[in-house]
Amino acid sequence: MSDLPNLTPEQVAQLVPGASDIELVGPGGQKVVFKGTIAGEQYALKFAKVPELPEDLETEDFPMSDVAVRAQREVKTMRDCTSRHMVKLGPIGLEFTTIDDQSLLLFSEQFIVGRNLRTILRSDGRFDPAQIVTLGLHIVDAIQALWDLGKIHRDIKPANIMRREGDDEYVLLDAGFAFDVVGESLSIAPVGTPPYFSPEQFAFTNRRTVMDFRSDLFSLGVTMYELATGQHPFWTPGDTSRSLFNRITTHNPPPPSTIVPGFPQDLDDMILRMLGKSPHVRYRRCQQLIDALSET
Amino acid sequence: MALYIQHGHGKSDKIRTALDDGTIEGVVFAARNEKKDNLRACVNEIREGYDGCEMLLDPQFYVSTLTPPNDRYLPEYPYYEAGRTASDFTGVRRIRHYAKETLDYQVDLGLDSLVSPTVIFDSFSDRWHQIALNLADASLERRAELTDPPPLLLSFVFKEEALAATEEVNRFLDTVTQDGWNMKGFYLIVARSERSYNQRFEPSRLAQYLYVVYVLGQINGLRVVCGYTDFVGILLRAVGADAFASGWNQSLRQFQRSNFIQRRPGGQRPRERYSSSPLFNSILLSQLQDIYEVGHLGDVLSGVPLDSQITGASDPLAAGWTTPLSQQHHWQTLHALDESLSGRVRPDLQSTVQKLRDANGLYTLLEAAGVQFEQNTGRDHLREWPRAIGEFQRMAGLASP
Repeated sequence: MSDLPNLTPEQVAQLVPGASDIELVGPGGQKVVFKGTIAGEQYALKFAKVPELPEDLETEDFPMSDVAVRAQREVKTMRDCTSRHMVKLGPIGLEFTTIDDQSLLLFSEQFIVGRNLRTILRSDGRFDPAQIVTLGLHIVDAIQALWDLGKIHRDIKPANIMRREGDDEYVLLDAGFAFDVVGESLSIAPVGTPPYFSPEQFAFTNRRTVMDFRSDLFSLGVTMYELATGQHPFWTPGDTSRSLFNRITTHNPPPPSTIVPGFPQDLDDMILRMLGKSPHVRYRRCQQLIDALSET
Repeated sequence: MALYIQHGHGKSDKIRTALDDGTIEGVVFAARNEKKDNLRACVNEIREGYDGCEMLLDPQFYVSTLTPPNDRYLPEYPYYEAGRTASDFTGVRRIRHYAKETLDYQVDLGLDSLVSPTVIFDSFSDRWHQIALNLADASLERRAELTDPPPLLLSFVFKEEALAATEEVNRFLDTVTQDGWNMKGFYLIVARSERSYNQRFEPSRLAQYLYVVYVLGQINGLRVVCGYTDFVGILLRAVGADAFASGWNQSLRQFQRSNFIQRRPGGQRPRERYSSSPLFNSILLSQLQDIYEVGHLGDVLSGVPLDSQITGASDPLAAGWTTPLSQQHHWQTLHALDESLSGRVRPDLQSTVQKLRDANGLYTLLEAAGVQFEQNTGRDHLREWPRAIGEFQRMAGLASP
């Protein structure tokens, strides 16, 4: 049996009575995503399977699956995060429902019209330095806003960043792995996308490892490097997870300017600093990176 | 900012002389060596007479855990109590109390920066290290409660062997550079393991110390004041230390835990020394005489104003070279070396390595001419320090491709 919900647009219309123009967008992680219009605005409608729901949803003993806890966290993060570069919660917060014997959770979020950066890189090629600077400024704004909430995103990568049509702003998606540094207990095992892991993300089962927003700066650095050069700084197809780990924790990639002639030296330095193996060599505050990027 | 005087026993007019001379820009007072009232008077005197001189107090809280302590006037200070053990650091309330007492005293004294209380630790993973972090954390909290307080320097005193554990040092750096740690900087002391005073420093440990200073000062933009240093302070400045402190005797130029533990009185009267920047070392006056006799005096002179005392005499032994002159000359020498730094890490390291090579070559020349040096005036450090710099450059990603 698939872990993804099996839903048609008609069923979605049944579950979300106020929604119209419903279309399947596709699967995303453990969720199926539709788009629909509610009160004249387009939203993404996300559905995930959860274990069979108890009759009384108000019971305090209601067991929350990992999927549900992550969704709860994603919803809360989107609701609380103030950055315009972090995707926002839509009119439907977290709800639990059933249809055709499927126990589901659903929520809505802003539907970003545009393409993700992975798609853009594949179709249009690498980004120019000005685009890299804008990307850095926008996503570090989202990282800062998350950190203001005591959270780290843990899954920053080209596929999770959209370039919005119209204003060309970059928006960070998928706060499902967002990690609450204080009082967190779920998903202590590394989560996210390994090629974009920071070195400390691999070691996070070690409680003494310092994990903070600087981990997200590393992942953003990998993303910026890849988009600037068209090459991933650590990963090549066919790599084993062991070799990927070794490269992320020990390999110093060449400066982007050695791959892209004319690439600015100061932007080189910033990206390489973000890729520092230890948090203490990266930027201590997001504002420092914002200042550096702004001066480029 | 650059060279500070490390205050200790018997200050007489040394601080004023150095300030008048323009070679020092700050003072790190030692609570242990000054009566409370005297310290206040001294702070006021410097405040009135020397605008721009930064004053810090090393509260020397760390002496409270040493037994039996050689604590002199420390029992006069409100935050100090001899004989504290690990159990005295259990519980948040107690830790906060220590931080409050120590910082409030410094605020009352009107110092330019506050220095947090700390304990000495042997390893970046032992319980004392955790206590030191807890004291630092409590100091940040206490400062946040004060109205318009001076900036805070977090103090850490660690044994040089602790620097051997790279991963632990990195974890320490990850911790203290976290966003929530809102200090101005650090006051760092490395407790040396050398039995007697000399310039030696095991290369991998020195490399790690340079890395710590570089990461905090250069990368993270924090102030770093390195206490109890000597010529090695030039290396620390080259990699990003804001200031280094050196005192008027050997125990104030190299921190040894044993100096803070009671011992039988005794010891030799110090022999007069001459600090030579071309040799990157302090040598004995008798050795300077030997150098003069083999015709190389000009090669080892530091080129600072007090050299005139030597050059104006018929020979070094006839120069009337006294201990106070030697001390003042030492600061002139360190100050001049420091002034030659540009504030940019790569070129400063390059020029420092060149000076160390030149110094080594000069030693070779002098030895060939028949000058004999002792172990603590010799050149072992000139082989160790370039290795340390090379290792540091690799660690910091500053090595030439």
